[in-house]
Amino acid sequence: MKKDMIVAVCLAIVIVIMSYIATLGGGLGPLFNGVRPLTIIYLNTTLNIHNPNFTAMSPEAVTAIVWDYRGLDTLFETAVFYLAIIGSVAIYRGIDEKLRISEGFGLSKIVKVVTKLLIPMNIAIATSIALHGHLTPGGGFQAGAAMAVIPMLLIIAFSRYFLLDIRLSRGLALALRSVGLLGIALTVFIPVVIGLVNGLNAYIMQNQAKVNAPVSLPAFVGSSLISGSLIMYNVSEFLAVTFGFTLLFILLSIEEGLVKEQMRGEGVEH
Amino acid sequence: MYDYLLVIIGSVLLVIGAVCDVLGALGMNRFPNFFVRLHAATVGVIGGAFYPLIGTALIAFGSEFLGTYRWFMGGCSLVSAFLILILAPAGSHALARAAHKSKTAIVQPKVVDHLEEDGGVK
Repeated sequence: MKKDMIVAVCLAIVIVIMSYIATLGGGLGPLFNGVRPLTIIYLNTTLNIHNPNFTAMSPEAVTAIVWDYRGLDTLFETAVFYLAIIGSVAIYRGIDEKLRISEGFGLSKIVKVVTKLLIPMNIAIATSIALHGHLTPGGGFQAGAAMAVIPMLLIIAFSRYFLLDIRLSRGLALALRSVGLLGIALTVFIPVVIGLVNGLNAYIMQNQAKVNAPVSLPAFVGSSLISGSLIMYNVSEFLAVTFGFTLLFILLSIEEGLVKEQMRGEGVEH
Repeated sequence: MYDYLLVIIGSVLLVIGAVCDVLGALGMNRFPNFFVRLHAATVGVIGGAFYPLIGTALIAFGSEFLGTYRWFMGGCSLVSAFLILILAPAGSHALARAAHKSKTAIVQPKVVDHLEEDGGVK
């Protein structure tokens, strides 16, 4: 007990000292107060309507870097995530679930009512994170993760049979996830198609016009900024991540007995 | 004048929240069984997070120098307060119900246990 007290007091002192170092700038030598050269590059190019050949047309630097400056990198990161999902789908293949009515399963009525109250708010927040991904911090993956909380809550509060009751099966989740991935793939090739049709140079994953490739996707619709390809990537990624996670949660909540039965059955055949 | 009053009321709510947090922490350490400790934790959440969030909303509304942004700050605080108000009781209810149903937590020392008297959890 005494040891715990000493540790706790030491931690508190360390936190206080660290916060003073960060705010007052003493102790660890003078802090750098200027703007670093790399930062200047990004500040000059993320949203710069006066220099249309070197801009991503998005005020949110993180989304611009993730989907425009280093778009291919993000594409392969996304591919890793979806390969993992495909792997788990392959492991759980062929497991038949008997349809059951969800009546009588799940937690108590209080928890169910609170979950129902929460879901509309959750949908609103997740959609706004996805649609404002090119304007404010957030983006497709974060919005999808926020949206994937809903099937998680439904599985816990209403039981997993409720998802089957509302016709959200594994096949539907897989199909909607594929629609999202198809959206990403199409957005990758749109500039190339425009370039081919008009006989211009264009790169894959190009967002705004470059010096030798004058193809750019629309940065404004009316007077609102949509940042060309960034909003399309965000919305597609939102769809793909939402239903990718939904699929994982459905798979993880399958009864262990069913999975073991299936695996044992395969072992006997070989 | 009204701004000043709002800031005063908000500060009082913040102090109430701090007191509730201390009481909740004391209860977590000192109470004898799972269910009363859960009660102390809920005092810490509702008293120690709901009241201070209402307090920060009032302080933000009363702080003229923040400009238009004070409505955003206050609104965010109110929404978080509402979420905590409905989510914390539901969470502790689910915990207590599950612990009682699975007989993981023994009700000892026991003064009264209405759930048991009603013939278990329905």
